[in-house]
Amino acid sequence: MSLRAREAGFLIPALILGLLGLAAGASARTDSLQAGPWETALGVVMVFVVMHAVLRLRAPLSDPYLVPLMAALTGIGLAMLYRIDPGLAGDQALWVTLGGIVFCAVIVFMPDHRVLERYRYVIGVAAVLLLVFTMAFGTEVNGSRLWIEIGGGQRVQPGELAKVLMVIFLAGYLREKREVLAIPTQRRLGMNLPAPRHLAPIVVLWGAALAVVVVLNDFGTALLFFGVFLAMLYLATSRALYMALGIGLFVAGSLAIWAAVPRIGARMDSWLHPFDDVQGTGYQMVQSLYALADGGVVGPGFGRALLVTEGGTPRIPALETDFIFSAVSNDLGYVGAIGVMLLYVLLMARGFAIATAARDGFSKLLAGGLTAVVGLQAFIIIGGVVRLVPLTGVTLPFISYGGSSVVVNFGIAALLLVISHRSRQGLVEAVRGIPTT
Amino acid sequence: MNRSIRILYLTLAVGFAVLVLMLGYWQVVAAGGLDERADNPYTMERQRLVDRGRIISADKVILAESITYREKGTKYYRRYYPQGALAAQVVGYATPEQGATGLEQHYNRYLAGSYGTGAILDRLREETKEGADIRLTLDTRVQKTAEALLAHRHGAVVAIEPRTGKVLALASSPAFDLNDVSQDFASIRRQTGAPLLNRATGGLYPPGSTFKVVTVTAALGTGTWSAGSTFDDKGVYVVDGRPIYNAAKHRFGLHNLTDALTFSINTTFAQIGDTLGGRTLGREMTRFGFALPTEIDLPSGEVAVSGRYRNGTLLPNDQRDEDSARIAIGQENLQVTPIQMAMVAGAIANGGRMMRPYLMRRTITRDGVVIRQQYPEEVGSVASAYIASEVGRMMRNVVSEGTGARAGLAGLSVAGKTGTAETGDPKRNQAWFIGYAPADNPKVAVAVVIEDTSGTGGTQAAPIAGEVMRMALSIGPVQGEPTG
Repeated sequence: MSLRAREAGFLIPALILGLLGLAAGASARTDSLQAGPWETALGVVMVFVVMHAVLRLRAPLSDPYLVPLMAALTGIGLAMLYRIDPGLAGDQALWVTLGGIVFCAVIVFMPDHRVLERYRYVIGVAAVLLLVFTMAFGTEVNGSRLWIEIGGGQRVQPGELAKVLMVIFLAGYLREKREVLAIPTQRRLGMNLPAPRHLAPIVVLWGAALAVVVVLNDFGTALLFFGVFLAMLYLATSRALYMALGIGLFVAGSLAIWAAVPRIGARMDSWLHPFDDVQGTGYQMVQSLYALADGGVVGPGFGRALLVTEGGTPRIPALETDFIFSAVSNDLGYVGAIGVMLLYVLLMARGFAIATAARDGFSKLLAGGLTAVVGLQAFIIIGGVVRLVPLTGVTLPFISYGGSSVVVNFGIAALLLVISHRSRQGLVEAVRGIPTT
Repeated sequence: MNRSIRILYLTLAVGFAVLVLMLGYWQVVAAGGLDERADNPYTMERQRLVDRGRIISADKVILAESITYREKGTKYYRRYYPQGALAAQVVGYATPEQGATGLEQHYNRYLAGSYGTGAILDRLREETKEGADIRLTLDTRVQKTAEALLAHRHGAVVAIEPRTGKVLALASSPAFDLNDVSQDFASIRRQTGAPLLNRATGGLYPPGSTFKVVTVTAALGTGTWSAGSTFDDKGVYVVDGRPIYNAAKHRFGLHNLTDALTFSINTTFAQIGDTLGGRTLGREMTRFGFALPTEIDLPSGEVAVSGRYRNGTLLPNDQRDEDSARIAIGQENLQVTPIQMAMVAGAIANGGRMMRPYLMRRTITRDGVVIRQQYPEEVGSVASAYIASEVGRMMRNVVSEGTGARAGLAGLSVAGKTGTAETGDPKRNQAWFIGYAPADNPKVAVAVVIEDTSGTGGTQAAPIAGEVMRMALSIGPVQGEPTG
């Protein structure tokens, strides 16, 4: 069976899952058997069919499992948004369409991702500028300054794009510097360290990540950026010491800020003791925990939990974005929530398999970094919802409501598939004895 | 680099495994506890879908039931209380907005049908839950009599069956209409006199001279004194340089112990208390259940602990360095609940054996299957049968020729003890009566307290106690019930 036939074989059940979810949500809403919003559903199905077709034409050797996994997550996301508010699902379908266009554009117009390596510094500077721009002109929503108003009441999250740009920059930068970073030249405090000028970027990024915590008031974004940076540093150097050192520095820095900045201290307190102020600072967290408890082992099913009041207001603030996983856990129970987490683990498995199969350092770092971004982001927000880490305002990839997030994640998937196609194509050509470019 | 990729993948996968464990904690392990929290909106919403069981009195009067209504095609249930304000604090309310109190809270598990394995299956099948009925020991005829006698006053009446601990009446005034809770809870809270408080179990009052029943039991228990022991009252007894007088500074002269109880002679009991000491008196208090939670089947937050309080903190009964002379006459920061004092009278009536008071007789499904049957339970022994009968004999004298005469019933012998706790303001006495009847074959024990009265226990509380006991004796035993 060809790779694309396999993709089609998995894509069909993945899409059916989403359609059933939408129908179940619509049926629960009216208490009668309903097909759901079929125009929306058909549109999203078409988007995935077109993506599949474009892959058949332009990247036939790419990984066949990534798109079905995306489709399953996107479908669950749409079904959850529909049951929260049908209008949100309609918007999200538009974002998915836009994401599909970006996906196809990347596949068609960037047959070789290695062109990105050449522009690594330009891309790195762009990432920093995007973040600085957000810090300076951003709009504060729910206490975090992550958005830029673009007129017409629409907002974009430049941080979503910045994180991809940073991964591309780091892939190029670390491929260039990996040797000097991996070889220790000095011994300090019982640790073998490279020369200070090579170590400097780590310290700079550590400082930048902490600055993000303070200025953007967003622990999650900082954790994501710094976590991805450490992950890629580890991929490049294979030195666990950097990871340990980095995590230690980040935790120490965060604790210091926690003690020094009262606003962030309050956030930490509501994480540690949400039940101390159920109607105030702990409200969101406690309502979410009630939702988890209500879901139980199996949950009542799509659209059947009492997540939304009779007036149509979600019981948990930011239910459609930060707390979408609470909605999943409530409707689908522990079993369904584990299923969704397994989808992310499978997604990571494919992403890292693409990184392993890639044939040059830049491609490996890029694929590994992009996978780590998606996996870490899912981990951070789910971890926030289950109170493992402080709650932060990042989206759950492919599921949360939000245009920036959907479009960027579709773009990430496209990049991974380009890398996957290139490495298999290279292998095929190498076997045939054709020199690779 | 492939090895690092694999390790990074494993690290993240382990991270997700931790997430799975943590999520399992909230969804499975901690879920039950979170569901029970009063501010959980899910629990409140779910309540509307439950056909709660009824609460039915011993004389088969429905005190609480669920009635259905439709909203957007869904069948919901809400609580209706056919008797309105009758036994309001005991029955309690159960609304999604205000939570639950009283029996509605204490037996919520049964009333809401969340017992046994059937409930889990119901939940999986998304069926309407059907709760079990709670049948009470409480008799509305006694309850109504008690509430009518308390009308327009603040106070409480408790009537129990001494041999079993069955609660026949538990009245607290002022009360409120249970049906108003879901309509206008704010207006109930605004009312003066704290109608939501169950004074019978949660109200703390100085016991005054009713506490002398405990003192006299302790005195006889030592063997130093008997009912005939003689005392000479000089009208004053001085402890720690502070004098203790009798009511109206009366001077009784030569008398025996029975007379001391009959006429509630403070100086004699102070002298006895002084001689007994804090340890011995405290030991007897512990046997009577002071400083211990009263194990009645009501939410623990609605049942206060009787005992000695200092700055709001409960003190142990047997502190050595205390003024046992003043404790013996019911002073020194003693604070007691009416239910506790009814149990004191009940224990004397029951030959020294104190029974656990209970309201729920049986829990029964709509199909008639008995899920729980309550049998009488002995809490402990307060005195030997002989001493109890001696104390009872003296308490009979209190009613036949002493301060409790107005509790007397024609043709029946009544035993009892009055109490008048003074607050410094002569118009704001707390009037008490505890007792039981018939004295030779006790069927009912009572405690009555009236707040803020210019009268005494003998004039205010004793007549109410008499009426309540008369009603309790006229209804006869509940048919077909095991009495243990």
